[in-house]
Amino acid sequence: MVFGLLCVAVWIPLDTDSGLVEQVRRRVSVGDALAPMLAACLVLLGGILTAVFLPDTTDTHHAVPGAVSFGAKMLGVLVIGFLIALYAGPIAVAVYNIAQAEPLEYRLVSASLPWKYIGFGLGGTFAIAGCIAIAEGRLHWRAILIGLVAVLGMVVVFDLPFDDLLLPPNGDY
Amino acid sequence: MDVWSYIWAGMLAVFAGPEALAVFDIGISITLVMVIFGFLLGIVVGAIPGLGGPTAMAIALPILISVFGFAPDALLPVMGCLIGIMKGATIGGAVPAILFNTPGTPDSYMTTLDGYPMAQRGQAKKALRIAHFSSASGDTFSDVVLIVCAPFLALLVEAHLDLPEKTALLILSLSFVAAAVGGSVGKGLIATGLGLLAASVGTGEDFYPRLSLGAAALNRGFPIATSVLGVLIVGGVFHQMTQIAADRMRQSVPTPIPQETNGRLTWADRRALMPVIARSAVIGTVIGALPGIGSTLAASIGYTTAKARYAMRKGIPEFGQGAPQGVAATEAANSSVSGANMIPVLSLGIPGNTAAVFLILAAESIGGFAPGPSVFRFTTDSVNPELVIAFGLFTCMFVANLLNWTIGGIFMRSLGFLVRVPKQRLLPVVLVVTLTAVYVQDPRMEVIWFTLGFGVLGFGMRLVSMSPLPFVIAFILGGRLEDSARQAFAATGGDPWFLLTHPLAAAFVALSVLIVFIGVRSGRA
Repeated sequence: MVFGLLCVAVWIPLDTDSGLVEQVRRRVSVGDALAPMLAACLVLLGGILTAVFLPDTTDTHHAVPGAVSFGAKMLGVLVIGFLIALYAGPIAVAVYNIAQAEPLEYRLVSASLPWKYIGFGLGGTFAIAGCIAIAEGRLHWRAILIGLVAVLGMVVVFDLPFDDLLLPPNGDY
Repeated sequence: MDVWSYIWAGMLAVFAGPEALAVFDIGISITLVMVIFGFLLGIVVGAIPGLGGPTAMAIALPILISVFGFAPDALLPVMGCLIGIMKGATIGGAVPAILFNTPGTPDSYMTTLDGYPMAQRGQAKKALRIAHFSSASGDTFSDVVLIVCAPFLALLVEAHLDLPEKTALLILSLSFVAAAVGGSVGKGLIATGLGLLAASVGTGEDFYPRLSLGAAALNRGFPIATSVLGVLIVGGVFHQMTQIAADRMRQSVPTPIPQETNGRLTWADRRALMPVIARSAVIGTVIGALPGIGSTLAASIGYTTAKARYAMRKGIPEFGQGAPQGVAATEAANSSVSGANMIPVLSLGIPGNTAAVFLILAAESIGGFAPGPSVFRFTTDSVNPELVIAFGLFTCMFVANLLNWTIGGIFMRSLGFLVRVPKQRLLPVVLVVTLTAVYVQDPRMEVIWFTLGFGVLGFGMRLVSMSPLPFVIAFILGGRLEDSARQAFAATGGDPWFLLTHPLAAAFVALSVLIVFIGVRSGRA
């Protein structure tokens, strides 16, 4: 309900160029704000119906204790995993460059071995093993192995047969 | 071209398309191979608790598009494979439900009620055969209804509905989905509103991309894959992992129960089951044809109806105690949804359930085929390629159906061991594969963050018992609804009441309001 109100009163008016309807000379047309405004009104109406009229007292059967903190941990592991994927390659190149007379640039080597797989390999394995560890309540070497095998499988499926597909994070460089 | 020529062309597109391999010098088309592959894959994923058709479709789609590209030639192999997965997963879900009391897919939950007691009595093979026979029968019936109804419905819509009526029809569909799916009308409206709002971000006709908060990453809006896969798959995996962790369910290996060696299903058994299968097939088909209501509800209604019907019968086990009719009712109902849910997809362009969402996603990604009433234009002076594709899809459905009748039963009965796959180790892999698949389609890190964001939204929705399906359907239809409304507004000379001044449009709008009102009155808000 609060989100719907914020959308109607703040976000949509401030973040759209045209209003609900636009009149240019004599021609009237639908403005860019109309569709999101109606959508926000639906959210608002749904919120009112849910909160005020007939609150559903049976809606906790899908919730489990500690679900939010568990979800936050999973999200954290995934975000860290993909951040590792994003930065591990450039960091590896930077470390390699310490002992090199002619420094490499990650952008230029991101399509070649071993650089192209460093980020995805480390980040993907971390994300999978981390999520398994959270669910099992401990980190077992088998979780890391599953992560490694899964990453290898994804390389085989997505990368090796196709020249035009890029694994994370190589499209960003 | 006349009607028969279109049907023939559709069949030829499947059977005589680009050749994948040859067996005894007989060429087998790539579409046929992909339907077979999809069907077998569908049974396998259906038999693994925690996976299911939508997950497999989500992961398969980017790989298929990478393999087949974006040319119109790719439509039949890609969509044929997805149809195969959709059909296979439905029968695969019965395997762990019967053998281990663990539904492989949500719609096979009711199968556990009688299937598992049958297995405990040593009749697992018979229960699996009943599930397969019922599933294949329901599937066939539903496909026949699809082929008969979808073209007529589309022709009716194209002939009688103008822009205001089409806009009102989209509003009616969204109201129906909001009111009928999930926990309550209120939550359904919230999910629908959020879906429409998300679809508005970064789009519009002004120079400034609306609701983009001035951020460059939002200028192009949210790619459809990020919202669909985020809310449906990532959110679903988060939720399942939460439950696993709460239960600390270590997937203890179920102990097999000694079984009768002869689990044959005689013709007398089949005849006895036919009335219950027929009733459930009709229920499943009707429910499947309505947007937003999926196979789980069909299975529940099919089972409940059969239970009420057979409550007083003597000579059969009580429902819930191992009644073969219970297994048949559930499986016939949930399988007959798969054909019927293509009716709103092909005739109106409105996705009926999660599996249909992925078919629309495939069509939108590849291009050259826009599901909707215009597909069924039987042009005589020129060839309508979309109509050929539509009949090709019908052919794919019947091929999958034939596979269901022939190899489906044998294959599904051999997959009991898959229940041992530990969910808590499989689901994180699914999660990262899904995120990688999204990136591969649109290689920029923003899509990962968007997908995770939508995943959090989907997770939150599940925690408060809000179905994510209205969100996804609204997201997909949002752009079309707005375009249609803009065109209708312009075509009626800027009449702001265009939805009320056209009788049919007004009737659709009134029906939309009535559906929501009934939902509220029935105490489900």
